[in-house]
Amino acid sequence: MPVAQTLRLLIGPLVLLHEQAGPRLLRLTRLGLFALWFFKLCLDPLWRLADLPRALFQPIGILSLLPQGGIDTLLQPGSLTVFLFVTLIVLALGMTNKAFPVVSTLAAILLTAYSCLIRGFGPAVHTDTVALLAIYVLAGFAWADHFQMKFGTEKKSPGAWSSYPLVTIVALLCLSYALVGYSRFIRGGLPVFIGDTMEVWAIDASLRGYYFNTGIGWHIPDWPFVVFMLKAGLPAITFFEMTSPLCLISSHYRWIFIPVMLSFHFLSLVFMNIFFFDDMLLYLLLVDWSRRYPTLRRPPE
Amino acid sequence: MNEVSEDKPLWLPPQSVLIIALIVGMISFSPYAFVPFHVTGQALLLYIVIRGFCYWPPMVQWIKSMPVFHRRMFALLVGGMIVGHYTLDSRTFYPYVSWFIFPTVREEDPVTCRQFIATTASGKKVRLLVEQLFPSIVQIYPLDDPKHYPDKLTGDLARSLAAAYNKQHPGDPVRGVDFVVMAVDLHPPASASPTKPSCQLLKRYDFSSDR
Repeated sequence: MPVAQTLRLLIGPLVLLHEQAGPRLLRLTRLGLFALWFFKLCLDPLWRLADLPRALFQPIGILSLLPQGGIDTLLQPGSLTVFLFVTLIVLALGMTNKAFPVVSTLAAILLTAYSCLIRGFGPAVHTDTVALLAIYVLAGFAWADHFQMKFGTEKKSPGAWSSYPLVTIVALLCLSYALVGYSRFIRGGLPVFIGDTMEVWAIDASLRGYYFNTGIGWHIPDWPFVVFMLKAGLPAITFFEMTSPLCLISSHYRWIFIPVMLSFHFLSLVFMNIFFFDDMLLYLLLVDWSRRYPTLRRPPE
Repeated sequence: MNEVSEDKPLWLPPQSVLIIALIVGMISFSPYAFVPFHVTGQALLLYIVIRGFCYWPPMVQWIKSMPVFHRRMFALLVGGMIVGHYTLDSRTFYPYVSWFIFPTVREEDPVTCRQFIATTASGKKVRLLVEQLFPSIVQIYPLDDPKHYPDKLTGDLARSLAAAYNKQHPGDPVRGVDFVVMAVDLHPPASASPTKPSCQLLKRYDFSSDR
């Protein structure tokens, strides 16, 4: 049947992403993720937070477990500098791959505290949350490897274990998009997609300005094409968000998803001053490197 | 790899999904409506996706091939993210947060935004942005929200921003900060000149006596 054949051709082969990944690709991923956080924290003048009014800070996550005195101590310039310095050392150790379960767990705890700290001055935005969860994944599977080696009875080659954290990171990245899509589709319903909602969000974000401040978005009412693009783009992007789990299994889908979502993230920067830099770097994991480069494949069992 | 499983998936034809959708409808739209639709509706969509993966042979094979510790870790990490979403809370269990971006309808016209505009010693007007002067912070709450910004805190924040600016520009320090509200018309008249936000002064903070 030509229709079925055409559909099959369009869908392409359905193969689990990173199924063949070997230890080298896992090491590269560990290095990349720890380097990403190291680079981010190197650029962060965290000690300046001590100059903000204390009343602005509302602790979130694990920081809400600290007593008031602990928060006050943490928000001193010296404490913030020491905290930043210690975190950088742990991240640098993580890049060496030595004692990885312990180091990555320490990194996960410190990065969680860091992420809670910087979000305590505002809403708990989603930027770099998946990058933090990716560190959890690396730490969690490093411990799983350790326990399996020590207590496990199965005789499976550890080479096959390299794919587990990689698939899980991609699953979490896709799940983050999917949950955003489901949430918008169900909570907002049709009115979100047919009204002025996207235009209002874009102008609001542009007026507010964040670290990146292009100052372009509030011209949107003068540009009918951009208004059309926003209105048409929201349902399209929501569709890709909702279907993002297909990235795990379809290479054809990934080659549509990646350019569409990268364009969306770049346009969000231009018109809304919002930049999901970390998620965009995680897109590198949407490429099945081990199928392209045999050296990144796991050794035959 | 792609052969169809011998077990006929129950969701294709979607009998079970239809039954679950019916249950969702009864739970969320009955006179009692004890679970809101924004929870059950999302759960239904997520269920369809998870179910799809559960019937896809390579995924089943991959999960089955996992040693027990790895399988538990996988379930914990993915399950944690899903449970975090259903807490409907983005602060308490961070990074296990509720994932929503632009989920609600906004139709206000004009779109307004409160800002701090500083005047320096040389007379230059500079916008003071928390996210630029304190780059650790990704985003603060909108300054329009009185719940997060009582009057005193707004003044303290303006002073902190001016001090941070002065550290970076000691030669041209801030003398005063205007707390203003900017507004952009969503539907400007066709004959109007290109959009420029209107600006209305709300409060003026004088820091000329600050060092």
